[in-house]
Amino acid sequence: MRPTRLGAALTAIALVPILAWTLFPIYWITAASFKTELALYARPPQWIFSPILDNYARVLTTIPFVQYLRNSLLVAAGTTLGSLVLGTLAGYGFARYSFRLSGAVRFLVLVMRMAPRIVLVIPYYLMMQRLGLLDTRTGLLVAYVSFALPFSIWLLIGFFADVPIDVEEAAMIDGCSPLAVLWRIAIPIAAPGLVVAAIFAFLVSWNEFLFALILSGVEAKTLPVVIAGLNTDAGPLYGEMSAAAVMVMLPNIVMTLALQRYLVRGLALGAVKG
Amino acid sequence: MAARGRGRWFLLPGLLFLFAVDLIPLAYAAWASFYDWWLIRPRDIRFVGLANYLQLPGDPEFTRAVVVTALFTAGAVLVEFVAGLGLALLFAQRLPFLRPIRVLLLLPLFVVPVVGATMWRVIFHPEVGVLNYYLSLLGLGRPPWLSDPTLALVSIALVDAWRSIPFMFLVMYAGLEVLPAELFEAAAVDGASAWQRFRHVTAPLLAYVMLLAVLIRGMDAFREFDIIFVLTGGGPGTATQTIQILNYRAFGLGHMGQANAIGLVTLALVAVVCWVLIRAILRPRAVPAA
Repeated sequence: MRPTRLGAALTAIALVPILAWTLFPIYWITAASFKTELALYARPPQWIFSPILDNYARVLTTIPFVQYLRNSLLVAAGTTLGSLVLGTLAGYGFARYSFRLSGAVRFLVLVMRMAPRIVLVIPYYLMMQRLGLLDTRTGLLVAYVSFALPFSIWLLIGFFADVPIDVEEAAMIDGCSPLAVLWRIAIPIAAPGLVVAAIFAFLVSWNEFLFALILSGVEAKTLPVVIAGLNTDAGPLYGEMSAAAVMVMLPNIVMTLALQRYLVRGLALGAVKG
Repeated sequence: MAARGRGRWFLLPGLLFLFAVDLIPLAYAAWASFYDWWLIRPRDIRFVGLANYLQLPGDPEFTRAVVVTALFTAGAVLVEFVAGLGLALLFAQRLPFLRPIRVLLLLPLFVVPVVGATMWRVIFHPEVGVLNYYLSLLGLGRPPWLSDPTLALVSIALVDAWRSIPFMFLVMYAGLEVLPAELFEAAAVDGASAWQRFRHVTAPLLAYVMLLAVLIRGMDAFREFDIIFVLTGGGPGTATQTIQILNYRAFGLGHMGQANAIGLVTLALVAVVCWVLIRAILRPRAVPAA
């Protein structure tokens, strides 16, 4: 349906408050991170100001931000890799081989994604304590792979099911093992799905707060916990908090804008298929 | 394919991992929920049967948390559904300037939840926050967004809406995109008004997607933790203390038996909703033949 000229004008007008609501918080904290303390508390609020980098310098020097960044990056990279390997195998397995209870197992995987994390974190904490893995990146990594895996599996089932089966059968006849078929034929064709699964796994780990809050003390602390820690009503930390928040959010924003085509497909698929 | 036995070698690593990491803690939680167990008294753990469960209905803090959770979940999901549907309909129009804007609407969904909540905490600040500055200019006073019991609940629902309207938008937009355009053209040619087209063509066709979106979001809102923790921590008092936050506090107090019992009750509630969701997915789509 092609809207009328009036409809187009009304739509354009409606976009103004919608975009303001969506983008203002992101803009405001970004602006705050470049403000002097004086500008932060200025009345009326300053929309135009001369930006400074002091807040960033202070965050990077006064707290071990780089160490926490390293933690976040290492755990996220491990989560991405782990859930891609396991998710590819399982997704392909579900897509290509049916067995008794196959449907039930798939739904059990979905239920895992829905379980409230607080239920899992308490026994998980006690287990990690016994294993001596409290406050380690490994402890977080294992939990995060289990968070990312159900989505990866469900997403990749769809992508692998779309790979033409004739090609795979031809390769089988030529003597390829099932694993070689997966590696040489299915994975290259389903590559866009793997990209989406990788991005989501990275974000699951990068964004996660509850497990990081409870399982990590000093050594394995990740960035969301740092942000929440800076988040006090004591005024003087606003600048640092904003700068840290912007640095933590930056990879997400860049990824969303750069890979939007893949993300929209992935989210729509993931949401509709579960 | 012929070799069905081989399938298990693809499935086993992932499934074993998943069940080990999820089911073993769950079994442990179920076991612990039958004990009177405080972290500070590791030598004095007593079996109490169902006592941890039985005291929950009479515990005013727990019943209050159930009410708060229900209000938060229902309010947030309702706002998100209406706004998401409106946006999806707006963006389904064939207007060239809408395309590049679409991705901007999605940004909140990808922002780290803790960071998103932090942004709003800065905006909501009663004295130095930007929101109250402009409200007071308009003569609307300086509402204590996060420290008034009722307003705090509204505020956390609003922040949840900020983050999750994009999800609703995206799911329903994707649902609208796959609807056949001829249907709408035919309805328009027949002289159906915009409302009639929505009521009799769009809504029935989109019902399935709407249901999925609401159920998925409902379950996620139900277990929301990060946003509430950063914005209010469950306060003032217990005004925004959802079941998740209460559970976290019980854990913080070292009351392991009770914390695990609350957790399992929550899990049972989610499992029921999940079952409804699964039934909805399995049910053949009730799409009227067009």
